[in-house]
Amino acid sequence: MSIISTENLSKVYGSGATTVTALEKINLKVNSGQFVAVMGPSGCGKSTLLHLIGGLDKPTEGDIKIEGVSITQMPDDQLTELRRRKIGFVFQFFNLIPVMTAVENAALPVTLDGIKPADAYKRATKWLERFELGDRLSSRPDQLSGGQQQRVAIARALVADPTLILADEPTGNVDTRSGDEIAGLLRDVSKQYDRTVIMVTHDPRIAAYADRIVFLKDGKVVDETLLDRKNHGAAAVTRMIKEIGD
Amino acid sequence: MKLQLSLAARYLGRRKLRTTLTTLAIIFGVLLIFGMNTVLPTMIAALQANVQGVEGQIDFSITNISGESFPQEIANRLQNVAGLRAVSASLNRTINLPADYIDRDPARPDTLIAVNLVGVTSEDARSVRAYAIIEGRYLEDSDTASAVISQTLADALSVKVGESFSLPGASGLTELTVVGILPPNIMPITEEILVNLPQAQEMTGETDRVNLIDINIEGFADEARRNEIQQQIETALGKNYQVGTLTAGDEMFAAMELGQIGLSVFGALALFMGGFIIFNTFRTIVTERRRDIGMLRALGATRRTVIGIILAESLLQGLIGSAIGLILGYLMALGIIKIVQGPLSLFINLKLGAPVISPLLVLFSVGLGVGVTVLAGLLPAWNASRITPLEALRPSQAEIDVKRKTGIGFIVGMLILIVTTFVVLSGQSALIIPGGLFFLAGLVLVTPALVNPLANLFGPIISWITVRQGIGGLAKSNLKRQPARVAVTASASMLGLAVIVAAGGLVSSMTGIIDELMLASFGSDYLFVPPSVMLWGSNIGSSPEFAQDLREVEGVEEVSTFRYGATTTNGQAVSLIGIDPEAFPNVSGLHFLKGNQSAYKKLASKRTLVVNGAFLLAIDAKAGDTIELQTTNGTVSYEIVAVGMDLLNAKVTTAYLSQANLETDFGVTEDVFIQLNLAEDASREAVKTEIWSLAANYPQYKLISGTDYYGAMKTQMDAAFSAVYIVFVFLAIPSLIAMMNTLTISVLERTREIGMVRAVGGTRRQVRNMVLAEALLLAAIGTFFGILGGMYLGYVFVTGIKVLFPLGYYFPVSGITTAVIIGLFFGLLAAIIPARQAARLEIVQALRYE
Ligand SMILES: Nc1ncnc2c1ncn2[C@@H]1O[C@H](COP(=O)(O)OP(=O)(O)OP(=O)(O)O)[C@@H](O)[C@H]1O
Ligand SMILES: [Mg+2]
Repeated sequence: MSIISTENLSKVYGSGATTVTALEKINLKVNSGQFVAVMGPSGCGKSTLLHLIGGLDKPTEGDIKIEGVSITQMPDDQLTELRRRKIGFVFQFFNLIPVMTAVENAALPVTLDGIKPADAYKRATKWLERFELGDRLSSRPDQLSGGQQQRVAIARALVADPTLILADEPTGNVDTRSGDEIAGLLRDVSKQYDRTVIMVTHDPRIAAYADRIVFLKDGKVVDETLLDRKNHGAAAVTRMIKEIGD
Repeated sequence: MKLQLSLAARYLGRRKLRTTLTTLAIIFGVLLIFGMNTVLPTMIAALQANVQGVEGQIDFSITNISGESFPQEIANRLQNVAGLRAVSASLNRTINLPADYIDRDPARPDTLIAVNLVGVTSEDARSVRAYAIIEGRYLEDSDTASAVISQTLADALSVKVGESFSLPGASGLTELTVVGILPPNIMPITEEILVNLPQAQEMTGETDRVNLIDINIEGFADEARRNEIQQQIETALGKNYQVGTLTAGDEMFAAMELGQIGLSVFGALALFMGGFIIFNTFRTIVTERRRDIGMLRALGATRRTVIGIILAESLLQGLIGSAIGLILGYLMALGIIKIVQGPLSLFINLKLGAPVISPLLVLFSVGLGVGVTVLAGLLPAWNASRITPLEALRPSQAEIDVKRKTGIGFIVGMLILIVTTFVVLSGQSALIIPGGLFFLAGLVLVTPALVNPLANLFGPIISWITVRQGIGGLAKSNLKRQPARVAVTASASMLGLAVIVAAGGLVSSMTGIIDELMLASFGSDYLFVPPSVMLWGSNIGSSPEFAQDLREVEGVEEVSTFRYGATTTNGQAVSLIGIDPEAFPNVSGLHFLKGNQSAYKKLASKRTLVVNGAFLLAIDAKAGDTIELQTTNGTVSYEIVAVGMDLLNAKVTTAYLSQANLETDFGVTEDVFIQLNLAEDASREAVKTEIWSLAANYPQYKLISGTDYYGAMKTQMDAAFSAVYIVFVFLAIPSLIAMMNTLTISVLERTREIGMVRAVGGTRRQVRNMVLAEALLLAAIGTFFGILGGMYLGYVFVTGIKVLFPLGYYFPVSGITTAVIIGLFFGLLAAIIPARQAARLEIVQALRYE
């Protein structure tokens, strides 16, 4: 069963002479539990797609269904609740709140949901411990490394037990080893906890952690492939990108 | 320099909203300083005119050396004398009335043997003196054979508005129609009949001549200026004229000086607030731009370049803001004067022209606007230049090293606070204004260190309200993040507000007390007033039979009298007022400063006294003490059971006691002042006639209707105070704008964070409430400091008022309550726009915002 399905999804920015078509008639279906990587050259519309799926922005045309329910016409409060309970976001720039500690940051979605702080922190701590941050619970973001901050952000994305994780270049700002760690973490999340993960990335090595890669170019899906763990390493993905680029 | 300027211009252009807000702050600062200082002198003049008008105070009065009348053109010579506010030439002649002219009854002694005919040019006269018409209207230029007279005279002549009476003059009897009635005269003066100048000239046969010129000079001229003006008047008129100065009483001057001190304090406060709004904005700009600056430094920009960028930006904004501020300030001054003109003109003929633009003030305002902006940018620019390139790569810093920055400031601030507190307690009035400013500065220095503890103190209350939304803690940590900025905003904006609230509360309670006192002293239906109120000893009183006769008149409900005795205690003269403890509270009453109504019962039972504030100051006693009074048969002990006052005896060392005790110990039985109230259902006309006929046997008393007198006094007082309230309101608005500015900037600054909160599931409501909670916390902290400042000023006020009114300093509970309520209300009000703005942010835009 597909957890996400888009139908002729289009997004046009601006008006008149300066219009930019960021997405054009995207039809995409993602199955529950799948780990999808979205790749493509800069400016091809990857972030825009993620924002639309996450209900952060409204499409110009077309429709998005999450678990069969259309979100394009949803009122803001309902959409917000959906984001809080069903969707977890990870951004390229960590977007942690600088005045909050790691555990407070990670607990934010559930605190916002009205759960008692003590319970919320317990849940956040559980995830932080899984990500080996058990000893940094009360550190503030500026006391954490980039990779650590990103793991806090992933913990935050998972704390509300969402079915869908959206990650926009989660490894874009960290070193290779942290990048591998984070990609591996996302894969574990998808497999162990049966979460659907959509991740935007430029890096073929990171994309290789996914089950499936969707290639975007000029706002359109130009190709996609299912990855076989055994045959498709980073090198294979790089080859594929070269082919599409031509 | 080119790079700096172009970068500055780009930043300003790209961040339109913030540029607008910052410029708004500068505009507001300049507007405040320019507008206030343009309006204030005019307001002061108005205030002075009001006070002088009510009291009938004239600065200079000019007569001919011979005492004779002179041509009315002489007044024209004064046209070129600078510093005169109002000039009124008049012809004053005493008209002796033939025997029995009023009552036509040879058997009774005449109460009215002469009146004063006063010919005036109606508008001129009204600009030197207030004529509070209680019935009918004031004189108009076109009136002929018309007169305005007092209620007392109208009663004596038995005329009403529209009716006429005749007056003997040079050309025989003249019929004058009453067009307006003035309040009754309590003081023993010759009654005046106000007519147009030509009318008086005709009646006295002195065509085109006057014999008096009254002059009021510009507001608050000091001693030297007064002398200078007097000199100029003397030169203009020549040797044949003498300039009399009727120097206003000490109390008047004390009151005016107090007013001037008050207004100067507010002017300084306005300046202080304007400066801080600007300073604040530039601080945030630099904090916000740390990353950009770090990057510039990483790319090789020198420290000087960085300083240059910030300063170029402040210079540009300072210039733009000052220019707009000047224009708006002028318009505001114009508007305020327009608004004030209406209510004032009803009351006194005060022509407020367009506000005068003083070139010096323009220079000063622009200099201050640009100067403060650049200066305010200097410290942040210096801080900016010390940003390391590293910071470009770090997420925004959560906390600037709080302890190190606040440590020294806190100690210095505390020292200043302690010293200034001693200064005010010392009562040295010359030091009070600078002391006040230093006190404010001290508060600002102390505040940063106290923001954290205060946020922790008030935080739980706010998060208790918002806990269900899970964002209370966030608002608190947001505030703690920039203690210095919170401190500056809170203290600068709320201090102004709270001071105004405290001062306003004080003024309003003052008016309340005065009103209560007036009502008690003059509010009874009829008063029998002796020739000299306050100097009771010089009056011939009446035997108790008169009061008894009055009591027996059908329709009279209660009669209360004062009896007067003099005594000493420890060699100090004390004026004793004997009252009837039962009747007195029903007709009149004391305003109790200590104790309450139950004191009357105690007066009736034993040898007890209620003393007034002046007594406490003179005798150095307090409630509960027992003092020895000198009586005809040696000293007798009296216990002070309460402290209270009435208007007639406010300034004299006075003790109130029962008439029974006054008789036993001092042998006094004579009434000197009588107040009476009618029964609800009494037929007023019938009672009045009977009282009048009884009163005829006691010509030493003047009978006046208290209700009318009180009404007239109250109207005058209300008009005088309305100007003060307008100034207060006008000064409260900046606080609101300052807070709004800070909150809006703090929302802008956190755009990305807010976008993130929204992305992970925060609703619009939660975001809005977060900003509201922050505003409330800010307001709570600010109010706390504001109240401290307000109490300081309150103490200064009371110290000043003591000259007039020995009230004593009481902890201003109601002022504080009002300050808290208004403070929190302003916090909410200031948060409305920023909170909406935060809630409406487009999430994707916000996440991209840098
Ligand atoms: N607010 C906007 N206004 C106008 N155009 C926009 C806006 N946001 C994005 N675009 C344009 O839409 C297109 C897609 O942008 P998007 O951010 O989705 O690209 P991307 O694939 O995420 O690129 P990158 O890999 O560099 O992050 C780009 O051409 C961009 O210029
Ligand atoms: Mg992108």
